[in-house]
Amino acid sequence: MGQDLFDGYATDGFYDELLTADGEVRPHYRALYDKLATFSHEELARRERLRDAAFRSAGITFTVYGEEEGVERTFPMDLLPRIIPADEWAHIEAGLVQRVTALNRFLDDLYLGERAVLHDNVVPRWLLTSSAGFCRQAFGVPVPHGAHCLVAGIDLVRDADGTYRVLEDNLRNPSGISYVLENRAAMTRVLPVVFGQSRVRPVDHYGASLLRALRHVAPPAAGDPTVVVLTPGVYNSAYFEHAFLARQMGVELVEGRDLVIDEHVVYMRTTRGLQRVDVIYRRIDDDFLDPVVFRQDSMLGVPGLMAAARAGNVTVANAVGNGVADDKAVYAFVPELIRYYLGEEPILPNVETYLLWDADQRAGVLDRLGELVVKPVAESGGYGMLIGPAATDAEIAEFRARIEADPRNYIAQEVVSLSRHPTLIDDHLEGRHIDLRPFVLTGERVEVIPGGLTRVALRRGSLVVNSSQGGGSKDTWVLAGEGQPLEPAEEAAS
Amino acid sequence: MLARHAESLFWTGRYLERAGDTARMLDVTYHGLLESPPDEARRAWYDLLEVLDARAAFEATHGEPDAASVSRFLVLDPGNDGSIVSTVGRARESARSVREMISTELWEAVNTFYLELFARNLRHDLEQQPYELYGMVKRRCQGVAGTAVETMPRDDGWRFLMLGWMLERAEMTCRLLNVRFAQLVEADPTSGFHDWIGALKSASASEAYRKAYRASMDRSDVVEFLLLSRTFPRSVLYCLEEAERFLGELCPPGELTHAQRLLGRVRADVQFVDVHELIDRDLHDFLDGAQFYIRGVAELVATQFFRHHVDLELHALGRL
Repeated sequence: MGQDLFDGYATDGFYDELLTADGEVRPHYRALYDKLATFSHEELARRERLRDAAFRSAGITFTVYGEEEGVERTFPMDLLPRIIPADEWAHIEAGLVQRVTALNRFLDDLYLGERAVLHDNVVPRWLLTSSAGFCRQAFGVPVPHGAHCLVAGIDLVRDADGTYRVLEDNLRNPSGISYVLENRAAMTRVLPVVFGQSRVRPVDHYGASLLRALRHVAPPAAGDPTVVVLTPGVYNSAYFEHAFLARQMGVELVEGRDLVIDEHVVYMRTTRGLQRVDVIYRRIDDDFLDPVVFRQDSMLGVPGLMAAARAGNVTVANAVGNGVADDKAVYAFVPELIRYYLGEEPILPNVETYLLWDADQRAGVLDRLGELVVKPVAESGGYGMLIGPAATDAEIAEFRARIEADPRNYIAQEVVSLSRHPTLIDDHLEGRHIDLRPFVLTGERVEVIPGGLTRVALRRGSLVVNSSQGGGSKDTWVLAGEGQPLEPAEEAAS
Repeated sequence: MLARHAESLFWTGRYLERAGDTARMLDVTYHGLLESPPDEARRAWYDLLEVLDARAAFEATHGEPDAASVSRFLVLDPGNDGSIVSTVGRARESARSVREMISTELWEAVNTFYLELFARNLRHDLEQQPYELYGMVKRRCQGVAGTAVETMPRDDGWRFLMLGWMLERAEMTCRLLNVRFAQLVEADPTSGFHDWIGALKSASASEAYRKAYRASMDRSDVVEFLLLSRTFPRSVLYCLEEAERFLGELCPPGELTHAQRLLGRVRADVQFVDVHELIDRDLHDFLDGAQFYIRGVAELVATQFFRHHVDLELHALGRL
């Protein structure tokens, strides 16, 4: 019977999302736990088949386009949802709104404002100008309403005390929202009863919210703005998401070659002629956006796009140049930026971070590389990292040399003992490390979609949750508080 | 809709029709020639290459045509743009680039066709069981067409897909008539029953023909059927009328566009032709002309829908 599922389950001293250190079920997991307790292994297997069928029938098989055979695979979703109670979420939400508000203010100040942040020496000028994401071509390009980070994905982890900390900011092209929506759609079919009893806040208004935000940032002269999603094309690994978002919003999914520019106005080529475009939600990196200004060998972009944006005839979202703010060395200054721009204490703390250009901090780090995590500042997606405790001596020596050669390009962080969550491994549950990427939209106001993408490291003991490295995902349930409506009034009304 | 999407759908239809018709013609030519003397066979293979506009390309890389070399060239040679592997590969590329515009079922029908084709040992199949291979290609093409009919919403995407499909089929039936006419009528005016059955078979038309014309194997009846039947969905007139309907639905009401005018003209040329006169005099020229105009229609469709303001773009690039 069901209790078997938890047979041999141990929290191993980690912060467990479902069980307290004393082995008690946390209150917000009670309904799920009780339901699981009634499941036999057969029942569980049946639910897994239901999940697979739900994914297939929704067409959520991801074609790996690069391969000759057109392999289709699924991003594994664990059957157990991750649950966040209302009060915890209120804290997270407030922290994210605060952080993204400050980051938008910072980017606006830097690219379009007085650059007060430099004059007041909040962040060293050289640190910003030496960032790979710093973009001189972004100076003076209008960003309506200062919505530089129209879509932000802020990666959070929970440490051994259960404290939510920001691990990194993704302010350029954060992906993963399609998994959030698809996981939810599948989960309501797989565990409908638990779901129905739990007052889970919906996420399916994301498309409408994103479209509203994109229309909000249209150039002021555009009456009824035309929005498009700009994708690098079918060979991009996130193409599914680009197409998914275009479909959710009911707008065209275009490639660079579908757009043409005349007199600094962007048009798309349709079968009925040229149609003006006002807002481009681009999922192409800055470097490839416009061969006139950036990489000249880019076939993905639109020649003249930056000039059109500069002329104020089209809004490009996310704004160009955001990379300077999610540079991992600049990340260390975000708490200061929050204090500087908002006059508030940061609600969500960073992970303890060492800046390696600083000789003292570097010396301290080089002595104990085996205990730390080292990351290149401009990468995302878990590439090029050193995880000290899991590294060989040779790897540590290699990173030492790299850091000494280019200290600006690396940061070091304390290893966070990521929280764990019961996860179905074969026919029983084991604790696996998780993180959380909530999605934050900046439109008329800064809005956080309840929950986000919970990624889970499926390999035992692994701290790496990226899908390319054996990661899976979980549906993430944010519970509505007592007397709190499931949806904000604005969404309910529209 | 986006011009690029429309163009990809248009070509998806064309490539698939091309693949299926190539298989049909190869099938009939191969099996019709099994007992023929080498001279006659060589001529028949030349005619087939001719009708597929592939003779020059073949001769550049091969010597004298025979069953094995022509079959390989037209089936599995990736260097031949018109080979079955090339056209199916391109159909898949086109379908993939409009993956979001077509149903999942349609994408899967195209993709599994491609996967099956490329999983086979085609060289071996051509030597051992060409009939089975050609049958597979025909069935797969029919399966894709049927899936499209069952799953595509009747929007502009559907119309572009079918417009390409119908124009290609009209042209291919013209080609087919042209090659069979050359083989059967010019070479041997008294050619018999079996030869004409072959002609009809390459258009998958023998049963429909017999229903319409009973036992008659008068060559003018066969030509009339393949050219003018209002009920047989591969006849030239049927395809042109369908294409005309889809194009009409894509164009704004009012003045006819250039593409509509040319398509209407070639349809009328076919519709009002005197078949007996044609057979006695200039069927060959007539069919060549029809093919020429059908290709012209495709060009005008591209100009009207797919290639907006290329000059404007160059202009913009030049200024920047």
